[in-house]
Amino acid sequence: MQYKSITKEEWDKALEQLLSLHDVFASVTSEFGQDYEPIRPASISGITYNKPRPATSLKNFFLPVRENVTGVRASEKPRIIIGIPNCDIEGLSLLDEIYLDKDFNDPFYRKRRENTLLVASDCFGIAEHCHCLSYGIKPWSSGIADLAVISLNGTIILRVISEKGEDFIKKIPVSSSSVVQDMLTAVEKEHSSTEVLLTEANKGLPDYNETGRIVREAKKGIWEKYSAKCVSCGACATICPTCTCFLLIDKPGFEKVKQLDACQYPGFERVAGGEDSLSDLHNRFRNRYMCKYVWKPQKFQSVACTGCGRCIEACIGKINKNELFMEFV
Amino acid sequence: MQVDKNIYKPLKAKLTEVIDESPLIKTFVLVPEEDFAFKTGQFIELSVDGIGEAPFTPSSSPVITDKLEVTVMKTGYVTEFMHNLKPGVYMGIRGPYGRGYPVENFFGKEVLILGGGCGLAPIRSLLYALEHIQDKLEKVILCYGSKTAADCIYKPLFNRLNQIEKFTAYRTVDKPEEGWDGSVGVATTLLDKVKVNISNSVAVICGPPVMMKFGTIRILEMGYRDEQIYLSMEKNMSCGLGKCGHCMMGEFFVCKDGPVFTYNELKYTPDIWK
Repeated sequence: MQYKSITKEEWDKALEQLLSLHDVFASVTSEFGQDYEPIRPASISGITYNKPRPATSLKNFFLPVRENVTGVRASEKPRIIIGIPNCDIEGLSLLDEIYLDKDFNDPFYRKRRENTLLVASDCFGIAEHCHCLSYGIKPWSSGIADLAVISLNGTIILRVISEKGEDFIKKIPVSSSSVVQDMLTAVEKEHSSTEVLLTEANKGLPDYNETGRIVREAKKGIWEKYSAKCVSCGACATICPTCTCFLLIDKPGFEKVKQLDACQYPGFERVAGGEDSLSDLHNRFRNRYMCKYVWKPQKFQSVACTGCGRCIEACIGKINKNELFMEFV
Repeated sequence: MQVDKNIYKPLKAKLTEVIDESPLIKTFVLVPEEDFAFKTGQFIELSVDGIGEAPFTPSSSPVITDKLEVTVMKTGYVTEFMHNLKPGVYMGIRGPYGRGYPVENFFGKEVLILGGGCGLAPIRSLLYALEHIQDKLEKVILCYGSKTAADCIYKPLFNRLNQIEKFTAYRTVDKPEEGWDGSVGVATTLLDKVKVNISNSVAVICGPPVMMKFGTIRILEMGYRDEQIYLSMEKNMSCGLGKCGHCMMGEFFVCKDGPVFTYNELKYTPDIWK
């Protein structure tokens, strides 16, 4: 893997110059917490590097909550998204399988993917509920993203992942000779410490395949118990980097508006005749886990849960899926 | 892969005729602005401008590409609007979607078709397709049930089919009215009448969920193997593209992996009859 470096000061200057031709978004920490925000010159210095994780997931950049999918789209500036944790990057892998599939290629998703440079950020440390490693996902990116960024003692180190990333760094004054072994050793040390933290925090949590078995075999009583505090708000699905279900809403002129939906909402599977296989709350609750750990793995290569832990954080009923899985391991 | 095609955009089709089939069922004859080809058993998303869209399997012959017929039962919000449409308006069509009937697998075989209610709509399209390739088939038997004689759709179809040498069509009603001298009972009761060489046969089932369930059980009892039984499944197919998630049935997207499945493919999937 190729590494380049640039001083933090030069990197910030380079980003400022990029703002005229690009829409730049980055992980930023404010009084409201850490999230992806549009970047203006004044906010460049506030970009958060190597800290997990933005409150919302990356998917909204590619699958807006609501959009007209029949109208003509205005051309957009190229986009750069900086500071993406690997759980979000890996989530994109499943979205690519769904939206760029060989039969039905979603032109809106595809254009956004082509138009976006993904600058991942290695996670140094963990947030509460982070469990990527339990599902085989490292807390740093080596694929799918274009570049990965590490901020270390006043230096920005860039790991070049894709050709697009390589082309990008040609535009900024980076140096490859200045990435000394000491820096890489320091980065590796951070990786190891983060892995240790993840392992410690998730002791006893089953891996992705084992979770699939638990979910498949769990009886009705378990789903009733854990869904007892669920209010069908759909926050878990909304915040999830891989939940992508949507509705098509008709508008006059044969226009279609695509709006994110969630299997946790009542009526998600109801048909005109009234049949609804997900009418019971515990069935809807189970459906999301079956989808993530049993059905999607049968159909797609990418994992459908990247262990970001946002669904646990977002749940107003304080339902912790990992407690469920650990109870039945 | 058609990279530049907008998969969400409907093709406009002019409604040229509305045929009353039964008190709750109408057939819409549509002329799309471009030729529209589909394979029998595939479905389309049919929309009422600005109101909504719903999935239907065309009931017309897949051989005809300049017009198509869609038979619609008044069941919910969108279909109620459809039933109020008059010829001359434009509707929207997306598709065709999914996997239809693999008629090439029926070559040299006896095809037993069990249908109920509005399930005769996809079956009529299949019958047209089978009529077109009748030289390649041993025989075709249709067993169809409706609640009452008035609820039976495509009434002239039965006489016409019975005039084709290789075709036999049976009808039954659940509730006979005065003057009905035909069979009485649910569609599966007609299966007692049919003579088929099961080892060289396929069975096709399409109808309301309860009929699909008991029809499959009865057909299995007759000795059909799981892989000889073709089911046309119905779910809330919204996008038709294997993306929106509304029609998931276990790991399958009914819209893309189906709507036609063999029972062998579905037998371990829970809740398939709901």
